[in-house]
Amino acid sequence: MQTRPHRRGARSRLAFAGVLAAIGLAASAAEGPSAPDFALASTSGSNYRLSEYRGEVVALVFWASWCGDCRRELERFERLRRTYGNVGFVVLGVNLDQEPARASALAGAAGIGFPILLDSAKDVSKTYRADDLPLIVLIDRHGEIRARHQALDEREERGLLVDLRDLIDE
Amino acid sequence: MKTAIIIFLAALAASMPALADEAAATAGPSDERSALDAEVQGLRREVVDLNRDLFMLEEDLLFPASTQVAVFVSMDVGTFFALDSVQLKVDDKEVSNYLYTDREQDALKRGGVQRLWLGNLKAGEHEVTAFFTGKGPHERDYKRGTTLKVEKGVGAKYVELKISDKVSQLQPEFVVRVWE
Repeated sequence: MQTRPHRRGARSRLAFAGVLAAIGLAASAAEGPSAPDFALASTSGSNYRLSEYRGEVVALVFWASWCGDCRRELERFERLRRTYGNVGFVVLGVNLDQEPARASALAGAAGIGFPILLDSAKDVSKTYRADDLPLIVLIDRHGEIRARHQALDEREERGLLVDLRDLIDE
Repeated sequence: MKTAIIIFLAALAASMPALADEAAATAGPSDERSALDAEVQGLRREVVDLNRDLFMLEEDLLFPASTQVAVFVSMDVGTFFALDSVQLKVDDKEVSNYLYTDREQDALKRGGVQRLWLGNLKAGEHEVTAFFTGKGPHERDYKRGTTLKVEKGVGAKYVELKISDKVSQLQPEFVVRVWE
């Protein structure tokens, strides 16, 4: 006799869990498109594949040596990487120059410590619609694109930091 | 002081049944919760099984055994060759161009086998060509190609591209073989 309310309770909880799961699925579906995977060679000679960073928050910084605002963004993301690197934040620079030597020279001069991937064929930048540089794409731990930013002013930088901290805390 | 202690002990004794009831009351929901957890775990397992069955069904539909050809990459030791990429051509048409990350190279060196390509080919003779790019002995850029004629019959065909060390010549060796 006493098991009935328990079973009813269990059922209602299961139903509740189901509703929660459905809401969760709907919410995750609304979070953003999944980031297309790619593999690129880097200036260091190693190859990098985006999907290997699933479980970490990734910032893709699309840039080129001829883009005036790009150097500032590279330096900004180097600072962010140093601050948040040990809590699961990864930065990958995607360079669109035809000559890899230019990318290496500029990244070296700016003291960049994150990998610079070479997209001279521009396949990845086309996939991510990097028409205007710099382009910053923030990807969450589940591999979903959560934010896109162009060159940032002070106010936008604060917005980016809020986005980034939220993603790291998730 | 003594009376205060006696009163405290009496109060403690009086509260014991209430505490016991409370403990019994909390044990109920926790049992229920663990039953619910077990149910959720069971459901999750079923979803995983279902997903696996769907994946296999999809593969059977998209790549029926009569036309299925799969190409795998494996590595034995790999002391004389650091793999960078493999370009695969079937009947002179590029079907895959795969870049290997450090983790993937490491996985191959530890005995992993990668399915590089899965596709459909009609029955008859086909030419499978693979170009391996990487660093050879003394960190030199190294590119080698290897070709195999494959006779596609009724059943599925599995081709293995194996990179191994030829210790006698201190060189890497690239072998293509068909699994029977």
